[in-house]
Amino acid sequence: MIINTTILSWVTFIYFASAIFYLFRMVTGKQFWGPLASWSALAGLIAQTAGILLRWFESYKMGIGHAPLSNLYESLIFFAWTIVFLYLIVEWRIKSRNIGAFVIPFAFLSMAFASFSPNVNTRIQPLIPALQSNWLISHVITCFFGYAAFTIACGLGFMYLLKGLEKGESSGPFLRFLPRREILDELTYHSVVIGFIFLTLGVITGSVWAYSAWGSYWSWDPKETWSLITWLVYAAMLHSRFLRGWKGKRMAIMSIIGFASVLFTYFGVNYLPGLHSYF
Amino acid sequence: MKKIVLSFLSSLKLTVALLIIIAALSILGTVIPQQYGPGESLTHMSPGLVKTFRSLQLLDLYHSVWFIILMCLLSLNLIACSLKRFPTSWKLFTATPSLDRTKPFEDLSPDNILMIEGERSGITSRVEHLLMKRYKRFRRRDTDTTTTFYGEKGAYSHFGVYIVHASILIIIAGAIIGSLWGFEGFVNLAEGESTDTVYVGRQKSLKELDYTVRCDKFSITYYANGMPKEYRSDLSFLENNAVIFQGPLLVNHPVTIKRIKFYQASYGTIPGGRVHITITRGNDKGTTLTVDLKDSFYLKENGAKVTIQRIEENFMSMGPAVLLSIHSSEANMQLWVFKDIEKMKQAIPNLLQKVPKFNPSLFKPYFFKLNTIAHTYYTGLQVSYDPGVSIVATGAFFIVFGFFLAFFSSHKRLWVRVDEQEGKTRIMVSAQSNKDPVGLEREREYLLRHFKKGSEVII
Ligand code: HEM
Repeated sequence: MIINTTILSWVTFIYFASAIFYLFRMVTGKQFWGPLASWSALAGLIAQTAGILLRWFESYKMGIGHAPLSNLYESLIFFAWTIVFLYLIVEWRIKSRNIGAFVIPFAFLSMAFASFSPNVNTRIQPLIPALQSNWLISHVITCFFGYAAFTIACGLGFMYLLKGLEKGESSGPFLRFLPRREILDELTYHSVVIGFIFLTLGVITGSVWAYSAWGSYWSWDPKETWSLITWLVYAAMLHSRFLRGWKGKRMAIMSIIGFASVLFTYFGVNYLPGLHSYF
Repeated sequence: MKKIVLSFLSSLKLTVALLIIIAALSILGTVIPQQYGPGESLTHMSPGLVKTFRSLQLLDLYHSVWFIILMCLLSLNLIACSLKRFPTSWKLFTATPSLDRTKPFEDLSPDNILMIEGERSGITSRVEHLLMKRYKRFRRRDTDTTTTFYGEKGAYSHFGVYIVHASILIIIAGAIIGSLWGFEGFVNLAEGESTDTVYVGRQKSLKELDYTVRCDKFSITYYANGMPKEYRSDLSFLENNAVIFQGPLLVNHPVTIKRIKFYQASYGTIPGGRVHITITRGNDKGTTLTVDLKDSFYLKENGAKVTIQRIEENFMSMGPAVLLSIHSSEANMQLWVFKDIEKMKQAIPNLLQKVPKFNPSLFKPYFFKLNTIAHTYYTGLQVSYDPGVSIVATGAFFIVFGFFLAFFSSHKRLWVRVDEQEGKTRIMVSAQSNKDPVGLEREREYLLRHFKKGSEVII
């Protein structure tokens, strides 16, 4: 195994530990676990950054240098990276660790899928002609920042629904630790706004790439269409905020539906007929 | 009646409904194979189903009446909604509130009021100085006992939403222009061939260009591991037999000639062609010949005539092969000669006993070996013209710009009144914003802190 994949598979365990610490903190109600959770997430992020940079460097040493954003393995790794990166910024900004238990597990799952699924090829491969484009790099980066923000919004949506189960003082620390519903609603909205902007940028850069590679900025292939569907779901969500009775629970559910659409855009599209082949 | 239609068209409920319906219809379009999509695989559906789908226009869903009606409704919805709300936003943008109003200062919470020891005029000028620095739109009004300031910033943030929505209309307009006046053509050109017409799939018609395109050469280069590294067509463009442009066409690097863009879209090999074949006699070092399909050569030994009957890129999944037919006075035989015969013998040990026709030394004393099949490539060019692209790009630029105004800017309005009460100077601060309460709070705290600085605060 090459060194970068070894580091990255270790990062999977660090994120697993971090997720468990965040969860312990919520379940036991002991603050003690909090700093442990945050610091391990940060340590994981640093190690992961090193792993990604190393992979980049190795690809140049092999004479096929390119940014490590070109296949499923590399995109899953980058997905996890953006989730943790954005999450830590949020944690630092709102000065609260309550969301971690609902977000870091997604990063762990993405890493685990990348590192341990037999269907994911971890080798560094050269770029086929269609992928040799700088627009592709900006496309992947913007899309995944968008996906990460939507992941956080989805975690917040789950928290909102769980918070609804709380029954006064009799509830355990887990439910009491969840922030108030108004705060969750507000945070969901802000995450979706960030995600929406990045997704829009992702669709735009993707269209520029398609225009230079295939001669058409939009050709309704399943991946493009599903990114439009995702975009429409979140656009509907941003507008329904202004409708009476739509704040709260329905927004939480929409943030989960939106995320399902993101996942389908990312993975599910491969099971549909007529996939845009990369040349 | 007119009123009902208008209020229907300008309602946000319609917006949300339309967005969700368009999303749902788009899902349908990814589940049902589309006629002009990349797949074009209607073969595994029953003919009845195909017929039903076709009559409902579900096989070209994104250009169906359903889709067009929905997009029209969305556009009307956008226009109606914007027209209805714009006057309000304009008023908020241009409003110049009267500074005599006391309303902003009623019901102020105590932490918005400062009582300061010191002379009013000095404090007033300090307040003015600070406010003028921070607020571009700034006014002052004095009476005998009070001074009132009004400052605002970010009033343009009211326009963010309109810019976003106008951009969507611009993008839709650009897409319509492209589909009405543009075309997407396709042509396969063998090396050496030229054309001045391309096939336009959507219109099922031929499109004539003002000039001729010739493919001089097509080539592929590979990485060490066998993955393709570069597809390259060397093209010449000719007008009245004179070359007007000559150059390589690569994937991701289209070539534009007279506003029409050419893309490297696919390639293939033309069946037939020629082969390089080595003939060894006994232990000699062998001769390599290049022979075209159906051509023949003669062998020294017994005047046998060998003809290339067939050339196969991948014969019976065993790789490249040619069929030779050999005629001499003693024999008439056919013989398949493979490129990878050694590998095949390893895989199937008694292959040559089973299939004598595959034995490269069947015609004694000669041994035949296929070296390579020389390819004649053809290049697949996408040829397109889209006059709507720059319009769509403009829309895309402004939608992002609009997002920043809509989400990250806010209209902050500030009233400050300085007067005297019980021998002290009183400063009252009233701040308002259309969104971003956090930013507003920060601004308020900043101002109060700086008004206090250098003064003795009483409360
Ligand atoms: C795909 C289409 C659309 C997109 C991407 C879009 C985008 C947006 C965005 C980003 C906002 C700001 C939301 C916020 O502040 O939370 C917004 C607000 C709004 N949109 Fe749209 N919009 C679309 C279609 C429409 C349509 C068709 C209408 C027609 C009625 C509409 C009416 C409004 C209204 C009334 C607001 C609220 C403005 C406010 O009070 O802040 N939008 N839209």
